[in-house]
Order: sequence, then C-alpha cells, then structure tokens
Amino acid sequence: MKDSLVLLSRVPAHPDSRCWFLAWNPAGTLLASCGGDRRIRIWGTEGDSWICKSVISEGHQRTVRKVAWSPCGNYLASASFDATTCIWKKTQDDFECVTTLEGHENEVKSVAWAPSGNLLATCSRDKSVWVWEVDEEDEYECVSVLNSHTQDVKHVVWHPSQELLASASYDDTVKLYREEEDDWVCCATLEGHESTVWSLAFDPSGQRLASCSDDRTVRIWRQYLPGNEQGVACSGSDPSWKCICTLSGFHSRTIYDVAWCQLTGALATACGDDAIRVFEEDPSSDPQQPTFSLAAHSRQAHSQDVNCVAWNPKEPGLLASCSDDGEVALWKYQRPEGL
Amino acid sequence: MASPFSGALQLTDLDDFIGPSQDCIKPVKVVKRPGSGVARIHIEDDGSYFQVNQDGGTQKLAKARVSLNDCLACSGCVTSAETVLITQQSHEELRKVLDANKTAAPSEQRLVVISVSPQSRASLAARFQLNPTDTARKLTSFFKKIGAHLVLDTAFSRNFSLLESQREFVRRFRDRANSSVALPVLASACPGWICYAEKTHGSFILPYLSTARSPQQVMGSLVKDFFAQKQGLTPDKVYHVTVMPCYDKKLEASRPDFFSQEHQARDVDCVLTTGEVLKLLEEEGVSLSEVEPAPLDGLSSSTSAEEPTSHRGGGSGGYLEHVFRHAARELFGVHVDEVTYRPLRNRDFQEVTLEREGQVLLHFATAYGFRNIQNLVQKLKRGRCHYHYVEVMACPSGCLNGGGQLKALDMPNRDLLQQVESLYGMVKVETPEDVPGVQELYDQWLQGESSERASRLLHTQYHAVEKASSGLSIRW
Repeated sequence: MKDSLVLLSRVPAHPDSRCWFLAWNPAGTLLASCGGDRRIRIWGTEGDSWICKSVISEGHQRTVRKVAWSPCGNYLASASFDATTCIWKKTQDDFECVTTLEGHENEVKSVAWAPSGNLLATCSRDKSVWVWEVDEEDEYECVSVLNSHTQDVKHVVWHPSQELLASASYDDTVKLYREEEDDWVCCATLEGHESTVWSLAFDPSGQRLASCSDDRTVRIWRQYLPGNEQGVACSGSDPSWKCICTLSGFHSRTIYDVAWCQLTGALATACGDDAIRVFEEDPSSDPQQPTFSLAAHSRQAHSQDVNCVAWNPKEPGLLASCSDDGEVALWKYQRPEGL
Repeated sequence: MASPFSGALQLTDLDDFIGPSQDCIKPVKVVKRPGSGVARIHIEDDGSYFQVNQDGGTQKLAKARVSLNDCLACSGCVTSAETVLITQQSHEELRKVLDANKTAAPSEQRLVVISVSPQSRASLAARFQLNPTDTARKLTSFFKKIGAHLVLDTAFSRNFSLLESQREFVRRFRDRANSSVALPVLASACPGWICYAEKTHGSFILPYLSTARSPQQVMGSLVKDFFAQKQGLTPDKVYHVTVMPCYDKKLEASRPDFFSQEHQARDVDCVLTTGEVLKLLEEEGVSLSEVEPAPLDGLSSSTSAEEPTSHRGGGSGGYLEHVFRHAARELFGVHVDEVTYRPLRNRDFQEVTLEREGQVLLHFATAYGFRNIQNLVQKLKRGRCHYHYVEVMACPSGCLNGGGQLKALDMPNRDLLQQVESLYGMVKVETPEDVPGVQELYDQWLQGESSERASRLLHTQYHAVEKASSGLSIRW
C-alpha cells in the first residue's frame, strides 16, 4: 500500500478560504476548482507544473459550492450559496456568463449535467431538486421541481448513460428520479445510511451507485431490473435498488465525497479526517455481494477536511483532491501488486 | 410529514429554522383594568397560571396561543409544526361554534353559512358515486342537520370574480400604451400563487396581478355585507365557513385585507378542505349517499336554483376562457365559440391565441404548477413574456387536484382526477352576464358596476413581504 498514492503537486487554489469542489473537463485537460472566496479557477498543466489558466471572479455573491462541465466541454455550471446557478460558456481565453438560473429559495448545493447535454439538475437547502432543459439557443427552462426529500439536498448526479437522476440528502436517504410522461417522478428511495448522505458516484456501467455519509460508511447499491435472475422484487416497471456492500470501519470522520474512476473502477473517498483513501473491488468477489479492499491511504493528504476527490477522465490513476485548507492536490495512484 | 400546502407555498413559507432574534410579535390585545398595582402570578403544581388580584381573588390565565393568523401578520415564519395545527384545527373549530349555538341564548347565537366550492363538491361526488346535483342537495341536508342555517355555492360568487376579471383586462389592455405594467394581467384567484408572488418577487410582480377578488372572498363580501345586513345582523354574528379543495385557501381567508376592523370580523371565518368535510361526515357516522336530499339554498329568492350551476373553461374557474371571449368581443368585435388550447412543453402550460389576417391580436396562457410559474416569472423578469393574460394556478392540473381534495382509494390518482373532472363538467354552465340575481346585486347592493362599493367589495390589494435582514437571520 506504500507508494500506491503519490503526491504530484500541491496548489494554493483558494488562499485564505476553503476549496469546496473540483471538476475535470471531459477531455481531462482542465481542472475547475471553486471555493469560499466566491471564485472559480481553471487549472491546466504547463510542463510539469499546474498553473491557473483562468479565474472567474464575478458572478456569485457567496461561496461557490460545486462546478460541473457540460458533456461537450464548452460550458461550465457553478452552484452557489447565493441561491443561483451560473452557466459559463468557454471562449478562447475566457468564460462568459450565458445565463443565471434562479428560483431556488436558498443555497444551491450541487449542479450536474445529464449525459445528453440537454438537461441540468440542481439541488438546494430548500429540500428540492430541479431539472432544467436547455435548447439550441442556450435558453434554460425549468422542467420539474421535485420535493421528495424532507431535508437539505447535498448532491445530485446523473447516471452515465441513462436519463436517471440521483440525489443525496441530510434526510439520510438517496433518491432516484426519472421522467414519466411530461413530468419527473421519484422512482426509488435508498434507505440505510444513518446520517447525512454527502455524495454519490455511479460505477462505469451505471449498474451500481456508491454513496458516502456522515455515518462514516460508503454504501454500494445495485440496480435490479424487473424479472432479474436474483429474484429481487420490483414494484411495477421500476427497477429496485439494494445495498450490496457497506464499507465501514475505514473512515474515522464524515466522508464528504466519493469518486468512482470510469477507467479503472477504483473508488476514492474524501474524509473529514484529512485523509484520502482508495478502494479496489476484489476481482474474485461475488458481483451480488462484492468486497472492497483498502488499496491506498494517505493519512495527511491535506491539513484540514478533504472536501472533494476527482479522477481524471482520460488519464488512469490521476486523482485531484481539495480541502478546507484552500489547497488542491494532484496524486498519482497505482494499484498495488498482489491486491 | 409531507406538507398539505401547494408546492409554491411550501418552498417559500415553511421554515423550521427560526433565527434567534425573530421575536414573535403577536399583536396581543392588552386589556387595561382600572386600578394600580402589579398583578402577581402564581403557578400551580399542574403548571397552570393564576393571576392573584389585590383583593386576593384569583383568575386562571389562558394559555397564550399563537394562531396561524398571528404568524402571517408577523410576515410569516410558518413552520411545519404550525401546518400540523392548521390542518387539524378547522373542522373542530366549526364543531365548537355549532355546539356553542346549541346552548347559547338567542342573542348570542351565530348564523352559520356554509359556502361550498364546485371543486370540493365534484371530489365528494366521485367518492360517494353521486351526480353533482344529488351531492349538492345531500350536502345541504347534512350541513343543516349539524346546525348550519344556509348552504351556498361559490359558483354564484364566481360570477362576480369572472365579470370583474373581464372588465379589468379590457381596461388594462386599452391602457397598455400608458403603463409598462398594464400587461400581462396575471390571474390572482389562487392564494398559493399570491403568497409565493408576494414573498419571492414582491414589488416587481404585484402590479401585474389582477385585483379581482377570488370567489371565496367575493362570497365573504356577499355573506358578511349583503346577507348579514338583510338579516339585520352585524358581521360578527354570522359565522361563514367555506369548503375548498386546498389548504392555501385557509391562508387567503386569514389575510388582513379580508378582516373588517370596524366589525372585528373576518369575511370568511373558517375554511374546511374537502377532506375535513369527509372527517365531519365520518364523525357523524354518515355516508353522504344515504343522506336525504334537501332543496338548494340561495342568497335571495332570485338566486336559488333547482340544480347547481358552473362555468366553462376548466376546473380552476375558467378565468382565461371568460376574459378571452369577453376581450375578443369588446376589443375586436370577434365572437369566439370554442376556445382552442394548445399545449406547450407540458400539459399544465397551454396557449390560446386570437388571430386575424396573420396578426396575433390576443395571446393568453394557462400556467399551472410551480415549474411553469417559475418559467413565467423568469420570462417576465427578462422582458420576454409575450402574453396578455395568464391564468396562474399553483397546483398541477388546477384546483380539481388541490391538496385538500379526497385521495384515490383503490385506483391511480390520474383516473380519480379524470372522474372528478368529468363530474365537474357535468354541471350546467352559465354565462356570468346572464345569471339571474347578479345584475340585481350590482344595482342594489353595490350601487353600480363602477361604484366605489363595487371596487371595495369586489377587489383587493397585495403586499410585498419584506425579508428580515438582520445579521441573526442569516442561515448558516
């Protein structure tokens, strides 16, 4: 396990503030970071070092909590505590604000683009999840307002290939949504966590969903379609989701983020104990009851809570992390031998 | 517990995190008694408070209660705890008044008037498998059996809401060159929409709202002003209950604009949802289908009918349809027979246009449900709203699908809604201009269509709610 996670670079991305979130662009060449200083910075490599290519300093009145790139890589969405979500269009050297999505009652906690690029989801402390549709003229319209959660919604993420949306909340549940006729409905509620669910990540196939929580566990959920071989009951035509694995005893504090590498299947976590951990699925384990082993553990990855971990979509093993200490760190992960 | 209020109201009003500095400023009436000296308070073992007077006599003090009205007057920190209170309170309140009437002296008794909305009636009709006429007659009979004196139909007061809406639109359309906020006119009969608009968009949106009162509140004026006077009673001696398809109507009845300072009485004293009426029936051990029907009442001899009546244009009142047909006639001399609705991005967002030689003369829309309200307001803010009139309702599918309607027992909600819509549509339709009794009331009660009385009793105002901006109210 030693040397399986090596630090490549550390950057003071949001000095005197927190760095809340990171997002790699689809090409894997740029890393967007956002923070409590209300700014968004775009990082790229120049030789061996990471430099700040752009700063977006106007646009939000309060903390920027999350950023997300569109599937085409030309747009960046930013979710802010000022209750708005901005959509930025990437031009040659800069970013220009295309529109500001308003409507949430208070802090927007997350934003995510659907794989088709036509839909956007946002969620907020106002307990709602909103689905937006964008047309060819970059006009955004609200398509649905979902009030299924009973508390603050922390994160939204789309399935890698289907128009299926997942949300995580302070109400300890994960909910899934899909389109039905001319509206969106909650088609599943995943219960099991004993405290706030902070983040979610789908596996490369989209059949499994990882959730991480304030209860210091990571849970893996699997989708069972109606008529499945394993005999898992489904109601109507909606798939059922069952918790097939719980990773407990590894984290000593709240787990704020989980990231599932779409290239290698490795699972990374960001923890309130300042550490980053990487888990690998045991190749011989039963797919219905998988086991995961701790493959890397960087105890003092940052000097404060780690808020986000993000795998580079093109370069296997390249992991970015950020922390309350305002720094962004880049790591090289190598699967240990004999694991 | 899922909130029973409309989606629009939920997002703005419910807030369980009350900041430490938000004092409850309930306007308590202080009764000053003659004599000096400070009263002493004694607390019994059971926790009850007694005031000990100077002469040694004791008086049990009533527990301070913060009611829904008080909270709204304060600028609204309606928490989910309060919503539980409201939802369980109203039919018990009615019971208390009916029981008090039984034992009170004749001069202390209150005349109980119950106004039933056609939407609630349709919901009950579906549940009990009755036609609308039988439902109306049986409800009249049931309410009278438990102590009500008069049972009315808010479809009658809706005539006034529709007529006032029609006239207002034509006036504002003709005035559009002089005012940047003349158009669009936004329908205002839905309190879920109004509370959201006042709280979230405040002074920006208020000028666009129609000032015509909703059928519930026009009935309030009719019962507490016209009817009470006819009976020789002051408004506080009449207890006016309405039966509505949603909880948001309870908030509308509590608005200070519908409270008479002079008589210290509300135009509508109590709002029951359709579900609460069902509770009343269940508590009486009565199935509506078994009740012996009674003849229908009216406010006067010229207004009572053999069967209930309704209006065209859908289950939310028909505002768009009536304003459109009237405007087409008044402004362009066009007689519109059937109004054609064109659904846009979803079925709760539909468009209606009047065209002549390729030119659009009138462009109207319906916007039901929070997502469509959102899009409408955002377009309005960006100057991209091309509609002249929008019928805005907070509930998807409109009032027939309100949060207080009876839920489906053994069928999908969609199927029940279709049944309720079809029962609603079965009722004979009337044109407000032709309804007997309406013109009479304009002439005799209001002294003319454009009179000061008509303006005061058939219209209302809106108020932007300022958000508290103290440092302590910041949400962390």
